Amino acid sequence: MTDDHSTDPGRNGAAPVVLVRSVQVAFGGLLALRGIDLDAAQGERLAILGPNGAGKTTLFNVIAGDITPTGGSVAIKGVDCTRLPSRRRPRLGVARTYQKARTFEGLTVADNIYLALAGHRRRHRVPWRTAADRALRAEAEGVAESVWLGDHIETDAGELAHGQKRQLELGMAIATEPDVLMLDEPASGLSRGEREHLVDLLEALPEKVTVLLIEHDMEVAFRIADRVVVMADGETVTAGTPEAVRSDPRVHEIYLGSEAETS
Amino acid sequence: MRTGSSMLNWRAASLALAVVVLAALPTVASAFFINFVMTQTLMMGLAAATIVFLAKYGGMVSLAQFLFFGVAGFMYGNAALEVGSRGLNLGLPPWTAVGFALIVTTVAAFLLGALASRTTGLYYLMLTMVYAVIGYFVFAQVTEISGPSGITSIERPDELAAPVSLYYTALALSVLAYIGFRALGRTAFGLALQGVRDDPVRMASLGFNVPLHRTLAFTLGGFVAGLGGLVNVWWNGQIDPASIGIGPTLVLLIIAVIGGVSYFEGAWLGAFVYVAMFTYLRDLPLVDRIGITEARFNTVIGVVVLLIMVLSPQGLAGIADRFRRRLSDRRRPVAETSDRSEGASHRAQSIDK
Ligand SMILES: Nc1ncnc2c1ncn2[C@@H]1O[C@H](COP(=O)(O)OP(=O)(O)OP(=O)(O)O)[C@@H](O)[C@H]1O
Ligand SMILES: [Mg+2]
Repeated sequence: MTDDHSTDPGRNGAAPVVLVRSVQVAFGGLLALRGIDLDAAQGERLAILGPNGAGKTTLFNVIAGDITPTGGSVAIKGVDCTRLPSRRRPRLGVARTYQKARTFEGLTVADNIYLALAGHRRRHRVPWRTAADRALRAEAEGVAESVWLGDHIETDAGELAHGQKRQLELGMAIATEPDVLMLDEPASGLSRGEREHLVDLLEALPEKVTVLLIEHDMEVAFRIADRVVVMADGETVTAGTPEAVRSDPRVHEIYLGSEAETS
Repeated sequence: MRTGSSMLNWRAASLALAVVVLAALPTVASAFFINFVMTQTLMMGLAAATIVFLAKYGGMVSLAQFLFFGVAGFMYGNAALEVGSRGLNLGLPPWTAVGFALIVTTVAAFLLGALASRTTGLYYLMLTMVYAVIGYFVFAQVTEISGPSGITSIERPDELAAPVSLYYTALALSVLAYIGFRALGRTAFGLALQGVRDDPVRMASLGFNVPLHRTLAFTLGGFVAGLGGLVNVWWNGQIDPASIGIGPTLVLLIIAVIGGVSYFEGAWLGAFVYVAMFTYLRDLPLVDRIGITEARFNTVIGVVVLLIMVLSPQGLAGIADRFRRRLSDRRRPVAETSDRSEGASHRAQSIDK
């Protein structure tokens, strides 16, 4: 964790670390988000559920800056960043994974994580190798081991199996020790054993890290989350503790019901 | 899996061998071969290597590299000449003129690179082609810096008066560029550039300034192409707009492609094949009897290029690489080779999507 954030107001739990207000996103005629609100306090583990096309990934894209919303505002740690380019957000302590793993296929596992670190520490401008580089590289290899890729440090990301790519994505996201960690369906496509790994890893994160988790796997979502937000059609349907949400009839209707049928 | 250290040793050994052979070549080869074929090969290879650099690391296929080659030559001519019917005739000392030429080339590359830095793929190719076309017209029409018949009687620095010294200059620059480009790939900047190639959106969300990386890479490519352009203008003693027109621009791309755009050594290999064909085709015995006359050389060269591309999309260097791998695979356990071919098919899929 970098020290320069310690004086931010969001630190002490009073103001939310992530504050989303009436965010709208329109793709042509399609309203993917219809004025959504979302708060996440420091250290909160928030699961975002909802059927396909509910707008969950779009909400992540807005928070991470990959999409500028058509309306509404986003603040991270009290800083309004509605229009802040995505590349400035890692400095606010934001890191994310993508629903479809986006790794650098032509680079090794170690290089992928190294880039995540270098981008965050802003050490990427020098065109020669430095001692700091070597330290960063050693750190990257440590992170690779923590996501069980220790045996694949020199493997090209393009040659990894699907589950391993997800582990790598996770490694790239947690490498920078973010304050806000956004995970888009991290368990999808993982085997049972890998899911267990994932839950262990998420439970081992420092308490102060705010985690936003999109997850279709109920077991994973409910084990991690303190609070659950359910979205449908670009709106929040309900929010509350995992127990409350589980017993909410509306949720059963739009989401859990259909999920129960399929599983 | 990469076989890291053995690859590295193999490369270092073959590079050392190539340098020794090329350095000793003037003692055994004819002056014509050295001063005509090889000097041209090295300077064209240097320029083509910048295409490889931008394509391999940055995913940017640039058609503007020959423009920077030309800009450096024109600017050297403008700066070094004292009197002449065309050009600025700045009358600077030769090495100051070199500095002037490189600075103008680098600044031009920076500005044009910045303008193109938000474009990718086909649009990048088109935009840089437009640069090449505009560059041609600028030099053809702005008589203050050139005009249609170009700048003539350009002298090279006294230190490079002996013809063979141009060969050694081109060789030294080529070796430096080769080693430098390869080493750059392992630095923070080079890795970031490869990240930009693979997924610019992801790179931005990791905190990288994607357009800046593209711009700086393009600037470096322009600078190195400019070095080749200086050797060219010393070698030729003159430069005119036609020599940087769309034809020569495409020739440089062809050199990079037949050499293999993902291999730096391919740039020089491609240049050698091209220059050698161009030089020796007419001397082949009976060649005119089978209908290959002077006027049909370009057709023949085109067919040869086509053949190379069909046989190996990775160019000549790709053929050499495959051959070397097959040799080393034979000495390796079977499990590992199948591992690699699986990886290769993964890679092919990821390019498709
Ligand atoms: N870039 C885009 N352009 C156009 N429409 C888009 C784009 N991204 C998302 N959409 C649309 O916006 C809606 C919300 O998509 P989003 O990906 O946010 O859903 P989601 O909740 O993440 O769904 P899933 O569970 O399938 O991942 C969908 O109807 C989708 O088709
Ligand atoms: Mg989604």
